[in-house]
Amino acid sequence: MIVRTKKRGARARSLRDVVTVLGSVLGILALASLASRAEAHHSFSVFDMETNKELEGEVIEFQWTNPHTFLWINVTNADGSKTRWGLEGMSPNFLGRRGWTKNTFEPGDKVKVVVWPLKSGEAGGTLQKATFPDGTEVVNFGRAGG
Amino acid sequence: MLRHAWLIAVLVAAPLAAQKSGPQGDTWESIAKLPDFGGLWEVTFGGGPRGGGEPPSFTPEYAAKLQAFQAATQRGEIEDGPSANCVPNGMPSIMTQPYPIEFLLTPGKVTILIEAYAQWRQIFTDGREHPEDPDLTFNGHSIGHWEGETLVVDTVGFTTDTALGNQGQRHSEKMHIVERFRLAAPDRLEVEATIHDPEALTKPWTRTAAYGRHRDWTLAEYVCQQNNRNFTTDDGKSGIDLSFEESP
Repeated sequence: MIVRTKKRGARARSLRDVVTVLGSVLGILALASLASRAEAHHSFSVFDMETNKELEGEVIEFQWTNPHTFLWINVTNADGSKTRWGLEGMSPNFLGRRGWTKNTFEPGDKVKVVVWPLKSGEAGGTLQKATFPDGTEVVNFGRAGG
Repeated sequence: MLRHAWLIAVLVAAPLAAQKSGPQGDTWESIAKLPDFGGLWEVTFGGGPRGGGEPPSFTPEYAAKLQAFQAATQRGEIEDGPSANCVPNGMPSIMTQPYPIEFLLTPGKVTILIEAYAQWRQIFTDGREHPEDPDLTFNGHSIGHWEGETLVVDTVGFTTDTALGNQGQRHSEKMHIVERFRLAAPDRLEVEATIHDPEALTKPWTRTAAYGRHRDWTLAEYVCQQNNRNFTTDDGKSGIDLSFEESP
């Protein structure tokens, strides 16, 4: 059983719930249109979009920056060693309009993530979604309300 | 009192009649009568020009450029475009990024603020013409006028550093874009863009992008160089810089 080390505000939690609902209802639609959205800043040629790699780790830092957010997590390997993964997400501009904040991830948070890994084999990828121990989920390619 | 109504009408109407009757949008009074383009607009899912439509019909020279690009991509020699290095897309692609745009109407000018890459376009609606020999820029030189409720924008003067899309479609310095902006529904803006290019295209290429209105949004800063870890090199390779220093 993993215990949260940090308390989250009710506001952050409710926003996350909204994102979760949006994500489950619209996730397929959002992913279907990813290819067109990806045009925004760079191509996805370096990512293996055929592979949904699952990782479990602890948040080191969440960079709420343009043109992409970066979630850095420590993943414990089978042999007990640790690998730092860098996971690229959409921008704060895009995600901020879809319920995310700079505090969506905090250092020490335990997360399960699904990523499109780098083809190069380096420890990086595109973040698709992250799940917290309490089951709440955030999606990267969400759709705006309103 | 009522019998003096005609006098009041004359007093009110006279200054209006005395104003010069310039192009629509030339004064604050005439701007007030234009359609409400207020709020932020973001390309809708499936509503953008990338959603389909007829592809451009290239002249042999430009078809060859496209084929060469595609072949190089297949060989792995081109993995990404300049925007990975934070170079703005330029027209027409800058209009359909997954970030909002905002219209500012002031006398004689419509300014479009484009969040992606912190760009803007200014569209002169004061009746001026294009310069005879415009500088070649990413977003071009735009003049516009209102046809009823539709803003018609004519843009020329494009650098060939930019592309028609990110798949190797090129254009010449003679590219000329005519856009028609109109509210297709109260909260839906449609922009029909017709691209003319006698060197690159055998016939004009028309695409329509749809935008949804978000009245409660505000523009956000977009400094692409802040933490850009994506890159593309001169020899076409791309990747991600995963160097990391923990914040103090």
